[in-house]
Amino acid sequence: MFLRNRFNYLALLFISYFIFIIINFFSLQILNINDSIEKIDQQTYDVFYLSAPRGEIYDANKEKLVTSSLEPHLFINLRKINDDNIVQYKQYLKYNFKDLKNSDFEDIFNSKELLYLIRNINDLDYLERQSLLELDAFEIFDYPIRQYNFGNIASHIIGYIGRPTLEDFEAYPESIRNGIVGKSGVEKYYEEKLSGIAGQIVFKGTEIIDFTSPQPGEDLYLTIDIKTQRIATESLLEGIKLANENFDSENIIQKGSIVVMDIDSGAVVSMVSLPDFDPNKFVKGISSFDFDQLNRIDAFNNFAIQGLYPPGSVFKLVAYWLAENEGLFPEGISSRNNTLKCEGKLSFSFNDGSQQVYNDWKENGHGNVDLSSAIQQSCNVYFWDIALKIWRTYEGSSNESILQEYARNLGFGKITEIDLPYEKAGVVPDRKLFEDWTITKPELVRPEGWLGGDLMNLIVGQGAITTTPIQIANAYKTLLTGYSSAPYFDKNKDNIQKMKNNNINDEFIEFLLDDLNLVTNKNGTAYYAFEVLGSKASDIGGKTGTAQNPGDKNSTSWFAGVDSVSNPRYVIVTVVDEGGSGSAVAAPISRRVIQHLIGVDLTPVKFGEITE
Amino acid sequence: MRERKITLLGPEGTNLSIFFLFLVFNFISWFTLFVLSEGIELNFNNILIRQIIFSLISFLVFFSITYISIENIRQFIDSLFVIITILLAILLRTTPKAGVRRWFDLGPIDFQPSEFAKVITVLFIANYLTKRKSRYPLFLFLGFILMLILMQPDLGTSIIIGFVILTMIFVSEVKIRYLVLIALLVVTFFFVFLESGLINENQLNRINDFFSANDDFQQSQSKLLISSGSLFGQYFELNKLEKVFVPVETTDFIFAAYSYNFGFIGVVFILTMWLLFFFRLGQIINISNSDFEKFVITGFVTLLAFQIIVNISTISGLLPLTGLPFPLLSLGGSSMVSTAIIFGITNRIFIENNLVI
Repeated sequence: MFLRNRFNYLALLFISYFIFIIINFFSLQILNINDSIEKIDQQTYDVFYLSAPRGEIYDANKEKLVTSSLEPHLFINLRKINDDNIVQYKQYLKYNFKDLKNSDFEDIFNSKELLYLIRNINDLDYLERQSLLELDAFEIFDYPIRQYNFGNIASHIIGYIGRPTLEDFEAYPESIRNGIVGKSGVEKYYEEKLSGIAGQIVFKGTEIIDFTSPQPGEDLYLTIDIKTQRIATESLLEGIKLANENFDSENIIQKGSIVVMDIDSGAVVSMVSLPDFDPNKFVKGISSFDFDQLNRIDAFNNFAIQGLYPPGSVFKLVAYWLAENEGLFPEGISSRNNTLKCEGKLSFSFNDGSQQVYNDWKENGHGNVDLSSAIQQSCNVYFWDIALKIWRTYEGSSNESILQEYARNLGFGKITEIDLPYEKAGVVPDRKLFEDWTITKPELVRPEGWLGGDLMNLIVGQGAITTTPIQIANAYKTLLTGYSSAPYFDKNKDNIQKMKNNNINDEFIEFLLDDLNLVTNKNGTAYYAFEVLGSKASDIGGKTGTAQNPGDKNSTSWFAGVDSVSNPRYVIVTVVDEGGSGSAVAAPISRRVIQHLIGVDLTPVKFGEITE
Repeated sequence: MRERKITLLGPEGTNLSIFFLFLVFNFISWFTLFVLSEGIELNFNNILIRQIIFSLISFLVFFSITYISIENIRQFIDSLFVIITILLAILLRTTPKAGVRRWFDLGPIDFQPSEFAKVITVLFIANYLTKRKSRYPLFLFLGFILMLILMQPDLGTSIIIGFVILTMIFVSEVKIRYLVLIALLVVTFFFVFLESGLINENQLNRINDFFSANDDFQQSQSKLLISSGSLFGQYFELNKLEKVFVPVETTDFIFAAYSYNFGFIGVVFILTMWLLFFFRLGQIINISNSDFEKFVITGFVTLLAFQIIVNISTISGLLPLTGLPFPLLSLGGSSMVSTAIIFGITNRIFIENNLVI
C-alpha cells in the first residue's frame, strides 16, 4: 500500500530545500556580490601544469608499440627556496642523489618555474620517499614516461615527440600545458586524441592548495602488423647492403622504402623508410649532435610518403589501363593480342620534321610483343608507340593530356590523404605545367615547352613526373580492385568510404592480374627474383621499374606487386633510392616480404638479374 | 486498458507539459554549452555538438517509450534488474580509467551503467512493493547492487540510490522503526566500506575537509563563480574570470557555469521549471489508482530532486563534493538518456491516466 501522507511529508521536505537553495543563491549572487569581487581581486593564484600521460599505441594484433606509464617523480617547490635554506637543499640533493651533476643544480635553482622536476624516484622505496617529503619544499607527483617498445622499427609511422614550438601551440593549445607535442608520424597526426589534458597544481603564495589530476589521452590502435614491419625493415636493409656490394655507385645507397597495404580496405600493414631513428632518444631530449647526424642522412624523412621519385616502368600500368579502356594501342594494332615487332629501338618523325630515335633498354629488342608481353618484359617501344599515337592524334587538343588524366584519376599528382603529416603530392607534367615552369622554374624546361618527347618519357614513368611509394601502392590497389580510397593507419577508419571507379571492370582486373603474374614467371623481368619460391611463384604478380635519374645519380629501383594473383590480399611496393635495376634489387627485397605474407620460410635477399 | 480521450504526438499520445518541460531542459543545456564551447566545430569532440547528438537520441528514447505500456514495463523489470546487475559486475572486471571503473569504453562514447541502474532500481522496487509480501529478499537485491556501485567506486550514485530506496520504502507501509533500522544499517554499511578502503583517498579528504571546516578550494572557487553571475549573469568581465579556477565545468560543475552566465534570474527560472515538473508528477499521486505508478513517481521525483539538491549543494559549499551530474544539464550521454527514460515513463503514466496537458 502506498501511503499518501508520507509522500506529502517528503514533498514538503523537497520544496523547503529548494527554497533554501534559492535563498542561498540570493545571498551569494545579490547580497554578497561585493565581497566576491574583492575576493577575486585579492586572489593571487598561480598554476603549474603537470603533463598528462599520452595515449598508448597498439598494432593490429593489440601488441603494445608505445607504452605510457606514470612514475613518481621528485619535484621541488621553488617558492619555498630562499637564501636561508638553499644550501641545505643543495647538500641534501647532492648527498642523496649522486647522479645529479653541478649543471643540474644550476638549472634547478635558477629556474623561474614554480615547480621543478628533479628526478624519477621509482627506484626509491616507500620509506625513502616518505623521508623526502619531510623536507618542506619537496613534492612527489606522478609524471608520465613514454617508451617506444620497438625502437627504430616503425619509427616513421609512430613519429617522435618534443617540446612545443609557437606553431605547435597555435595548432594544439593544450600542448603548451603538457610541455610535449607530437612532431611527426601518428604522434603528430593524432596529437589531439593522444595528448590528454594536463593536470593543474594551484599555488597560493608558497603553498600548493589544489591539485587536479591530469587526464590521460586516448589510446590509438593502428592497422600495422609489427611482425611484418620488422621483416620488411630487415629485408630492405639486406637489399640495400647487397646493392652497395654489387654496384660501384658514386654515392652510398642507404635510402629506401616499403609499403604493404591491405588491398581491399587500404589499411597500411607495414610502411618502412630507411634510414630510420629511435624515437626513444627524443623522450628525454635528443642531443643536437645526434639530431644533426640523423638529419644529415635524412633519417626523419618518411620516404614512403615524402620521397619523390620518377616511377619508371611501374608507371606503365597507367598506359596499360588507358590502352585497354580507350582501345588506344600502338599504330596498326587494334587489340591487346595483336603484336608489334620490337627491334630494340623506335625511329620516327614528328610533324615538325624532326627525326628521332629512341633506344629500348634491351639492345636486340623483345621480338614480337603484345600488351601482355610488353608488361612482362617491360618493353618500352610498345608504350612509346602508344604515346606517339596519342601525340599524333590529339596534339594541341584537349585530349592531348589523356594519359595525365588517367594518371590523376589514379591519384598521381596529389596527396593520398593518408593519416600522416607532411605527405608530398608529386608532379604529373603536362603542357600547362611546363608553361608555368618557364616562369617559375625556367631551369627545368626547354624553351620549346611541352613536346611529344615529353609525353613519350611520361608514358614510361620518366622525365618530369615524380611519385611517392604510397601513391604507387594506392594506384595499384585501385587498378586491382576497382575502388579508390585513402590509405590509413587508424583502425577506426576500417569502414572508410570507397569510391567505385567505373572505368575498371572485373574483366580488366583479371587481365591485369594475369599479366602481372607473367612478370614474376619465366621470361618476366622479376623471374630470377622469385625463382626461389618454386611452384608458389606461379601465384605472385608484380611489375619492376628502373627509373633513370638526372645527373650522375644512379637509377631508382622499383617493384610493385601483389602477394597472390588468385586471391590478392596485399599490395606491396618497394623502392631503393639509387638502387639500380628493379629486377635486381627491389624485386628480391619484395620477394622476402611476400614470403612472410604468404607464410612460407624466409630466404635471404639475393641480388637478382639486371634488366631494364 | 483504460480508454483514452485524445491522442497527440505518438500512437498513444503525449502529455504536452511533460514534453514541453523536457524540451526546455534540453534547450537550456544546449544554450549553456553553446556559451561554454569556444566556437562551434562540426565534429564529435565539440561539447555542444556532442550534447545535441545525445539530446536527439534522448528524444528518440522518449518517444519510443510511448509505445510501451506500463503493464509491459512491469513484465520486464525483473529481467532488466538482473541484466543491469550483471553489467555492473562485469564492469568491475574492466581496466580502471582515472582510478575508477565507471564506464564501458565504446569508442567515441562511454556507457555508464550506474546511470541506468538508478532508473531500473526505482521500477524494480515499485514492482516488488506492489507484488510481494516479504521485504527481506528485496533488501538483499538492493544491497547487492548498491555494493557493486560502491565498489566502482561511485559514492555519489550510491548515496542517491540509497536515499531513493529509503524514501520508497518510507512511503510504503513499513513501520517507521524498521526504517530507522534500515537507515542505521546503510550507515554502518557505508562506514564498513570506508574502513575497507573502497572510497578513494581524494573523496575521503574532501569529506574530512568539509567536516573540519577547511574551505575546499574547488568549492570556494565555484562559489565565487556563482556569485559573479549576480542578478542577470556575467557581472564580471572575462579577464577577472581567468583568476577563478573551476574544474569540469561542463559536467559536475555545470550549474556553477550556468549561474555565472545567467545570474540569479536564470537560477530561479531553471529551479521553477523543475518544481513545476515535480508538481505535475505529484498530481499522479492524487489521480492514479495504481500503487505501482505512485511508487514509481515517488522514486523518480526523489531521484531527480535529490540529484539536483546534492549537485547544487556541493557546488555552493553546503555539502562535501561527491561528483554528480545535474540531470539534463550536464554534458553526458548516459545521464541524458537515463533521464529521458524517466521522462518517457512518466509521460506514459500520464497518458494512461488520460492526462494530455
